[in-house]
Amino acid sequence: MTVSLNGQASVVKKSLYEGSTQFRHWRFSSTSLAKLRASQNADAVAKIRNAFEDDSPGSSSTIQFLSADEEYLLVKLYISKISQLCAHFRFPEEVEATAVSYLKRFYLRNTVMDYHPKNVMLTAIFLAAKTSNHPIGIEQYVHSIPKTKPADVLDLEFLVAQSLRFEFTVWHAHRALWGIWLDVQTISGFNQATLEDEYGQALERVRASRMTDAELIFTPSQIALACLHSVSPDLAEQWANLKSPNTADAVMETISRIQEIIDTQSGPPDLAMVKDIDRRLKICTNPEKVVGSKAYMAKQAEIEAEAARKRTKKAEGLRANMERDPFADDAPGATLVPTEPQSAALNPTRDHRML
Amino acid sequence: MHTPVKDPTGKTTEYRDENDTCPVCKSDRFLNKNLRLLVSPCYHRMCEGCIDRIFTLGPAPCPIPGCGTILRKMQFIHQTFEDLTVEKEVGVRRRIAKEFNKRRQDFQDLRSYNDYLEMVEDITFNLINNIKVRETEELIEKNRRENAALIELNIQRDERDVSSLQEEEARERRDREQRAAELRMMEEEEKFEKEREKQAIIDGLATSNTDADRLVAKTRAEAAKRSQARRRPDISNLLSSSTTTSYNNTRNTFAKDEPHVPFTDDWDDCHDRFSLRLPGDQSPYYDPTTIEVRKDVEGKYRAGGYMLEEVWERALRSAVMALDITPLPEDE
Repeated sequence: MTVSLNGQASVVKKSLYEGSTQFRHWRFSSTSLAKLRASQNADAVAKIRNAFEDDSPGSSSTIQFLSADEEYLLVKLYISKISQLCAHFRFPEEVEATAVSYLKRFYLRNTVMDYHPKNVMLTAIFLAAKTSNHPIGIEQYVHSIPKTKPADVLDLEFLVAQSLRFEFTVWHAHRALWGIWLDVQTISGFNQATLEDEYGQALERVRASRMTDAELIFTPSQIALACLHSVSPDLAEQWANLKSPNTADAVMETISRIQEIIDTQSGPPDLAMVKDIDRRLKICTNPEKVVGSKAYMAKQAEIEAEAARKRTKKAEGLRANMERDPFADDAPGATLVPTEPQSAALNPTRDHRML
Repeated sequence: MHTPVKDPTGKTTEYRDENDTCPVCKSDRFLNKNLRLLVSPCYHRMCEGCIDRIFTLGPAPCPIPGCGTILRKMQFIHQTFEDLTVEKEVGVRRRIAKEFNKRRQDFQDLRSYNDYLEMVEDITFNLINNIKVRETEELIEKNRRENAALIELNIQRDERDVSSLQEEEARERRDREQRAAELRMMEEEEKFEKEREKQAIIDGLATSNTDADRLVAKTRAEAAKRSQARRRPDISNLLSSSTTTSYNNTRNTFAKDEPHVPFTDDWDDCHDRFSLRLPGDQSPYYDPTTIEVRKDVEGKYRAGGYMLEEVWERALRSAVMALDITPLPEDE
């Protein structure tokens, strides 16, 4: 018995997915997700309130800031717009799914009140096109989007990449579903014609799941199986039993949770409500990010002063180094400074430096 | 009078420099445009004028201070290398190689052959650097006396080797030329044949009453048959040529191609949880999205390194991977 136990201990291996950044850095539970969004929102509100107060004291008391849920609703609206834009550019599904993931991940570390999701969405698609090997020229990209300049997309590009922690690889549920579909073909006793139809329906479910937080909580293969399960429960159960006979029950439980989330959350946001949020956002946007406002100027001046201070400090350091250079006196340009023996003797500090 | 550059290939030329000055008469290229410096057996340079002046009446000592070696006019040679020490080393080695030309088979074991080579190298070194010259010369003389017969034999052997090598090269060159001539002849014949075919069609159309298409087809078929008959022996000839056989021999000695094992760490790529069907199998997956890729008439996809089996494997892997990972617990 011990032999088999030892053997098992040495054989246990982690799946490659557990080494991915998606598993290590972008995996949450639904409560921790809600908590994260709430704390993010509270921090942002406090910061922006301070900015308003600095600008003109007492001005923030009348402003209604957005709540975490309202922020999420606005982001969700722009997630739904990604698929429209990607269809227009005829991007493959991979780009669309990647862009959606980028947008979701970006707003887990930033707030709508700092960066409006419209521009972030455009940047996310542009970046996703590049990272999933379907690059498009920036001129061609902004040409078909009204009222957009290349700068609108490119200015945010580094910020988005930074917020993603430069983790561009995303494991997608639609690829997992494709794999499941290919693999169920090896199970005999299913009609190929209906199978194709079911795959199409399941793919639609996967697309619906992108509107939810499912990918931040569950693994892509679980989401794909859940989508297949809601179309063809027999097939999904048989396949799951075949692939993980020991944990089939746990997998089924997870799947039912995913289905519940897709059923309840995948609907598009109420347009009137989102419009109201957007109207309020115009008022409560961080004044330091609104180009031309007084706070923006002040922030820019502050950044500028900080940069200038750094520059002078660096220049001073360089100058001190130059003076300490032991070869400076022998250089032909150094004759401007007379270095007679007497003056060297009279100037002990200089002498000391020479040593 | 003086030996010109002895090199039939014309690859080596006599060394000359713009700043040459004769160390004896101090004349330089400015005074004498055709100044030519030659090298004495004691490796000192002097101009042709000085050599004529000093050595015309017979052997005389070297005029360079501190040398005094007795020299003759005929012993002067042209300079090949800029550095005279290199010149000297080449000369010494050439001489020693003639004197000490024993081969491996002249010795009983490798050890004694290596000792012999080392002794030769020591002698060479001594002569180049003027160390114990008299004793070394005696050693060379002794060797010449003792091994006169063997040395003579080896000289003959070397000559035979060189001549056989030359013969080999000449034969290869002849073969190559012959092959090229054959190829040229074949091409010409082909051209001629085509011309004849064209002419036959025109003649036939002019004289007979048969259908034009049929006549053309018939003439073409006959021409094709003729060219086929002509070409067949050539191919077999080509296959039996020496270059092809030697190529086949080397091919058989390649190392065995061991399969590459990519993962030897603690990560599981889940390859044992599915069995992949390949695109070339009897019944591959039914997959409408990749029909175009599988046809791939123009090789567009293959050119970029796209391999369908890898794409399928990736999809299958992501389908079975992480299926049983439990979601993070919901905390209060």
